[in-house]
Amino acid sequence: MFEEIPTIESILPLKIYNSFYIPSNIKRDIFMMERTVKCPNCGNTITTSGSYGEVVKVICPYCSTKGKVTFGYPISSDESAIEVSNLRKEYGDLVAVNNISFKVKKGEVFAFLGPNGAGKTTTVEMIESIRVPTAGAVKILGNDISSSFDQVKERIGVLPQEFHSFERLTVRETLEFFQKMFKNRASINEIIANLDLKDQENKLYMNLSGGLKQRVGVAISLVNNPEIVFLDEPSTGLDPKARREVWEVIAGLRNKGKTVFLTTHYMEEAEYLADHVAIIHKGNIIAEGSVEELIRKFGEGSILDIKNCKTEDAIDALKQSGFNAKQEDNGDIEVYIEHKERVLEILSILRHEAIDYDAIDIRRSNLEEVFLHLTGAKLSEEDE
Amino acid sequence: MNAGIIWASFKADLQSFYRSKATLFWTLLFPILLILMFGAIFSGVGDAEYELVVVDYDDSDMSVMFTEILNDTDIIKTNVKVIEEENILSYIKNNDIKRLIVIPDDFEQSLNTFYFDENVTTSIKFYFDQSEQQTNSIIRSVISAVVIELNKNISGGKDIILIDDIETISGEFEFIDFFLPGMIGFTIMQTCIYGSLERNTKFRKDGILRKLLTTPITRTEWILSKMLFQLFLSFVSAFLIIVIGIFLFGLNIHISLLMFILIIATSFLFTGMGMVIGRFVKDEESAGMAGGAVTFPMMFLAGTFFPLEQMPEFLQTIAKVLPLYYVNEGFRNAMIYLKTDDAIFHSVIVLIFAIIFFLTGLILTKWKED
Ligand SMILES: Nc1ncnc2c1ncn2[C@@H]1O[C@H](COP(=O)(O)OP(=O)(O)OP(=O)(O)O)[C@@H](O)[C@H]1O
Ligand SMILES: [Mg+2]
Repeated sequence: MFEEIPTIESILPLKIYNSFYIPSNIKRDIFMMERTVKCPNCGNTITTSGSYGEVVKVICPYCSTKGKVTFGYPISSDESAIEVSNLRKEYGDLVAVNNISFKVKKGEVFAFLGPNGAGKTTTVEMIESIRVPTAGAVKILGNDISSSFDQVKERIGVLPQEFHSFERLTVRETLEFFQKMFKNRASINEIIANLDLKDQENKLYMNLSGGLKQRVGVAISLVNNPEIVFLDEPSTGLDPKARREVWEVIAGLRNKGKTVFLTTHYMEEAEYLADHVAIIHKGNIIAEGSVEELIRKFGEGSILDIKNCKTEDAIDALKQSGFNAKQEDNGDIEVYIEHKERVLEILSILRHEAIDYDAIDIRRSNLEEVFLHLTGAKLSEEDE
Repeated sequence: MNAGIIWASFKADLQSFYRSKATLFWTLLFPILLILMFGAIFSGVGDAEYELVVVDYDDSDMSVMFTEILNDTDIIKTNVKVIEEENILSYIKNNDIKRLIVIPDDFEQSLNTFYFDENVTTSIKFYFDQSEQQTNSIIRSVISAVVIELNKNISGGKDIILIDDIETISGEFEFIDFFLPGMIGFTIMQTCIYGSLERNTKFRKDGILRKLLTTPITRTEWILSKMLFQLFLSFVSAFLIIVIGIFLFGLNIHISLLMFILIIATSFLFTGMGMVIGRFVKDEESAGMAGGAVTFPMMFLAGTFFPLEQMPEFLQTIAKVLPLYYVNEGFRNAMIYLKTDDAIFHSVIVLIFAIIFFLTGLILTKWKED
């Protein structure tokens, strides 16, 4: 049974280890035992079925590419893994976190999305009991952390922002070191295998690339087989390939039924990974919901990208016809369209005015536009 | 308290330690190189002849001949002095005399009366500085060779002339005696301050401390494991330095309980000092500079390389507020000079410093983030 994918969709061209990926809008339907996936090679969609936690091998019927699809666990219930109420943090006069409240459900990937300095680290480190809140309460797995964080420690795994482990321990020694701290102990061999660190296990941490270090960081957070994993900007500073490898690792955690609390300032990261997104800006949560919900509620419909537009007065022509158009730094023009039908209108304007351009791209508006709409500011600089 | 956690943390330090060539060099090799270098520069070069002070109460033909025979050995250079008997010990002390013989006033008479009384004897007193065992055993054997020869010629082997050994401490020591205990204090200071600084700046910046806050390791377990490692390093470097001192420089090093107490107190003292410094610096770079700014002047001012007495008076006053001064003096008195009272005094001061700095360090160290 095939499932239709809408034509105007923000589908990320992900191709990681040749695993077939589930487009973000579809994978969220987690009770479905059938999945529509996209071939990383030819882009055609295939529907496959499986049970939760299963990894199913698929062969693309169009181009015969072989790959695998992982069936994630459903979010089992509405039970909360984390409950934050009226959490507040002041640094002198600065209110870094302003009485925020939210819940993270068991089994979901919760993305805390916000620009630099929004208060992500402050919030997550208050939840991890590393920083002391000015006010408010946090419950993890039903335990109030102000009184019983010690019980919680065995059940959570933490990767702090910009974490850098002991330079002169090997990957395996590092994992063993952190594992020794806990009573709950996961199998190190399994972690190494799952995170694809087999070739690196005897290398010194200091000799690893940035991406591998982050992967080891995630591995460290798993040594006690935690129910909740906190990852503070796990992919910041990595090149796109390494970043996607980290994403794949995080998707794997979700598929194993772990709750993931992820902070990021990459909207693609939230879009690709998150079941639930909270957007934080200047210490306040300004929007919250699934990616779909946020885009439906705050997005600007779709966006038509006119690539490399060389005609001077193209913007004026579009604006005269009542379009919201703006010139990007790279010369592209972005036009916001509420209804798909208006695409044809734009095309006829372009032809009529003899506007010169390279290509046209239509995409659904993304979290970047949601953020822009909500705050009037950009989420992040192009790329760091 | 979980021994497994403490051991894991200790082991991680050990692995990091022996894999870092720079750390190995600075903690183990560098102090030894310094000792070899300074030892070579300041050792009295090629003393082929050893001076022997002769106090001759007999002043007879026989005693003068005996002195001349000693002088003719080319090993001993005699230096005849006239000193009252009761002043000999203070003379030795005040003039830093390494060895001295006293020829009794019955020397010639005894040798002459042998022909009438076979049981007559006369005793030469041999005063020697016990800190110079090696040279003095040479001198001692030269003197006894001469004495045996004389006895043989006069009596056919019966001991008329005897040698009475008297140990003294002259009060002055060689430079290396002074320098080596100072190197122990200096090395412990370096490894403890820099080790402690690394844990409180680099580990903080790298998120390791934050990460540990979310694991079950307690603060006590963490500090204990790090302290155990510092103590281990301190003992290893002290051991190496002592071995060098004994086997390369022939020092007479006294290993005592006091020395162990000093090593432990010194390790706590400077680890605590590292924690205090670590509180006021942001990153590794400024930590390195702050560490240098503290250890470098202290090393010179606290009399590690030169005796305090050679410095201007105001610097000597400064030295007396520096913890390293008491560490150095404590080690010297406990290991070499064997002035137990002074050693205890210095150790107590080091212990007090250790308690103050370690507690302040513990209190000042931020465990949680703001
Ligand atoms: N220890 C501190 N003392 C004073 N101000 C702080 C402290 N930590 C953070 N801040 C301030 O609080 C605000 C929130 O910082 P926070 O680190 O939580 O942001 P963030 O969202 O994690 O940013 P980034 O993406 O850069 O990690 C910022 O303005 C920051 O300058
Ligand atoms: Mg942050």
